[in-house]
Amino acid sequence: MVTEVVIPMLGVTVEKGKIVEWLKNEGDSVVRGESIFIVEADKVTTEVESPATGILAKILIPVEEEVPVLTVVGLITEPGEQIPDDYPIKPVSVPAAEAAARPAPAAAETNSPAAPAASGPIPIMPAARRLAREKGLSIETLTPTGPGGVILLRDVEAAAAAPAVKISSLAQRLAAKKGVSLGGIEGSGVRGRIMRKDVESAWVEAKRPGLGKVIPMATMRQVIARRMTESAFSAPHIYFFTEIGLDPLLNFRHEILPEFEEEFGLRLSINDLLIKAVALNILDFPILNAKVTGQEIHIPAEINICLAVALDDGLIVPAIANADRVGLVDIVRQRTDLVKRAYAGKLTIEELERGTFTISSLAQYDITHFTAILNPPQSGILTLGKTRDELYLNDEGAVKTRKIATFGLSVDHRIIDGAVAADFLQNLKHKLERPIFTFLSL
Amino acid sequence: MYDLAVIGGGPGGYTAAIRGAQHGLKVLLVEKDTLGGTCLTRGCIPTKSFISDSKLLNAAKNSSVLEGTDSLKIDPAKMVARKRQVVETLVNGLQSIIKSHAIDVVLGIGHLAAPGQLQVQQADASINAYAAQNIILANGSKPAVPPFIEVDGQFVQTTDEALDTEDIPQKIAIIGGGVIGIEMATIYLNMGVDVTILELLPDILATEDRDIRLVMRRLLKRRGAQLFTQAKVKEIVRNGDRIDLIFEDQTGAAQSLQSDRVLVATGRAPVLDGINSRQLGLEMEGPFVRVNEKMKTNLPGVYAIGDLVGGMMLAHKASAEAEAVVKNIMGAKKEVIPEQIPRCIWGIAEIGAVGLTEEQARATQRNIKTGTFHFMSSGAAHAMGHIDGFVKIIGDSENGEILGVHILGEHATDLIGDAVTTMTMESAVEDLAEAIKPHPTLSETLMEAAMDWNRRAIHKPKIR
Repeated sequence: MVTEVVIPMLGVTVEKGKIVEWLKNEGDSVVRGESIFIVEADKVTTEVESPATGILAKILIPVEEEVPVLTVVGLITEPGEQIPDDYPIKPVSVPAAEAAARPAPAAAETNSPAAPAASGPIPIMPAARRLAREKGLSIETLTPTGPGGVILLRDVEAAAAAPAVKISSLAQRLAAKKGVSLGGIEGSGVRGRIMRKDVESAWVEAKRPGLGKVIPMATMRQVIARRMTESAFSAPHIYFFTEIGLDPLLNFRHEILPEFEEEFGLRLSINDLLIKAVALNILDFPILNAKVTGQEIHIPAEINICLAVALDDGLIVPAIANADRVGLVDIVRQRTDLVKRAYAGKLTIEELERGTFTISSLAQYDITHFTAILNPPQSGILTLGKTRDELYLNDEGAVKTRKIATFGLSVDHRIIDGAVAADFLQNLKHKLERPIFTFLSL
Repeated sequence: MYDLAVIGGGPGGYTAAIRGAQHGLKVLLVEKDTLGGTCLTRGCIPTKSFISDSKLLNAAKNSSVLEGTDSLKIDPAKMVARKRQVVETLVNGLQSIIKSHAIDVVLGIGHLAAPGQLQVQQADASINAYAAQNIILANGSKPAVPPFIEVDGQFVQTTDEALDTEDIPQKIAIIGGGVIGIEMATIYLNMGVDVTILELLPDILATEDRDIRLVMRRLLKRRGAQLFTQAKVKEIVRNGDRIDLIFEDQTGAAQSLQSDRVLVATGRAPVLDGINSRQLGLEMEGPFVRVNEKMKTNLPGVYAIGDLVGGMMLAHKASAEAEAVVKNIMGAKKEVIPEQIPRCIWGIAEIGAVGLTEEQARATQRNIKTGTFHFMSSGAAHAMGHIDGFVKIIGDSENGEILGVHILGEHATDLIGDAVTTMTMESAVEDLAEAIKPHPTLSETLMEAAMDWNRRAIHKPKIR
């Protein structure tokens, strides 16, 4: 019996995945439950286990090719079993634009016996491939005229005969001078000839690269968009703000920092203290750890605090596990590791989805306070603006300065009442302003 | 309801009508006189017919190989008759082309009543109203005459009368040394008339390149023309069969000039019959109708082209604007670039020019280079016996952009077309040098001038 190996569902919001490494080669024997490839989706990398014991007879999808989830990527046979020649591989529909954008496999790969598949390389006759290589034409730019979309020799000949780019002398010189790339410029001259004004406007556009564009959303952006919409329109948000004096916390950190660093080799941040304090605060207000599931309110047993990490192309929120129970040292260790792997795109699905409460900090910006949208299915998110100096009257009536920051709390008003949220924030303020008491048990 | 109504059947108006019809528009063309406009009936074509005939006479009389040329004469009546024949042929041809496109032609004076509406007053004074989605005003121009001059059509003429006159004066005074004055002077000089040109400005052909003006002045003088620049005409007095013309010369001294006839060639003014700008709220620019770069007036759906909007008053400029308007009506985008409109003058020597003069090019602060080539060094020019002439190319020394081309000499008006094509295609000076030109022809002079731009002309000695 042939067992199909597919890219698993990687989470409700994940649509596509890319195999970054095959851990087994064709012909290797595999054991059910053993990892056979690593797949990457949404900046998350997961090892996928073999669904059966047998021989990995065929690898259908090479590495670095993005395909929809549930795509058949390989076949496992029983030892000695042959894959029938007409073995039907379930086609997975790929939107046309993505299919066209898929990079053509390098020649070496297409020559290997592993390649042919429904969603595999672009079909091309050998003579056509040879000529294309000679002429330096890339296969995906050719227009096939053969039956079933096969690229024929004549298609390559036609492409080779066509002038590369039609452009006027002055436009060419302008492009060279300004360093404007001619690709993608639409010529306004006779028969699409690129004229000077076309290069000029391309150059103007190039200087304002962010404007006048249509950008297809990357998978990550699509996920963010969907989740934010879902959160904003299903959970009615209410917001609370309070100012928290930070001198005690800053002093506390300052005091323990050198020894902490010496002892554990880790650098304790204000965020780490905050994560711990929030987790402890949730112990007093478990409803802030809740999520709405149908007609029920689920309050998980673990308090996993998410820390928002901004990446170039979006934001992800890995969660520090059991932040209430583990020590500060472990929180620092987890946080350092998660952030590092977030930048490297090496987080696991679990690390991304286990969160029960989120902290979002813009402390490094000149922002006093802001509201946040809940990270579904969570019910609470804490925001933090910049630390600033404030004048105040001390008990003796003298004017003093202190450092404060505005903390905000967004909650799902379906299950959390305003008074509860206010209590939570006030209690947190109390905890952060008396750190020694709060962090008695490190 | 028409898609497009065009007032004026000259080279601007009829081009718009035909192009519109080709795009499937329902077109109305209003013409008060004869299809073809000034160009066909009172301008370009008649003068070229006269210039050709008179040039033949002059060439024969000055031939070193023909015999018996002393007794050669030209019959002005036949000259006029041939011109009429030429015009008739062309107008008939144009009529049948317009008919073939099923364009409705109404003869009469078109009035723009409001955006989208026009009225045509026909010869029998009846008035018909028409509605059109788009209206193009292509009314054209007429000779402009200073207020103190009275044109009697016999002793004092404009080109309108001169091109229909069957006798040749012995002595003529031409007021105006612009394109029209120079072309008319050429006709009279060719026919042996004693010509005096009076120009108000410091030079003749003021808009042309300095070198062109210099050579043209020299050639005119060589042919015996008298030239007064900065000459202010004060008075014209009829004295029996003679005309006394009083003017102030460049020193400010009053001078008197006696001639058989005076030709007033002081430019042309737009024809505004049927356009009540104040009532319509139509914005003007001096005497001309104001348009934007798409030839749109400030009134919705109303365009204006050709001499009516000023600029170079040339038939091909009007035609190019007509095409641009129709393109814009059809939803595309098109502008006429003034630097790519050629200027042609059929003078003693022909002048063909396009783009900037050297003075204008230098004023742009760009780094420029010039390349020149004289007909004197052209085999074809020698064989034809036309060695007066030169080609001058002005190009941006950095990117090779052709900024201006100026040609004086035989066939200059044809030769300039080559430069215009090259410029329109945004080719560089080097492209002009690359193209292989047939030998022996004058077209080689343009190639050599382009080569000289890089100091690589073949038929030019090395510069030391």
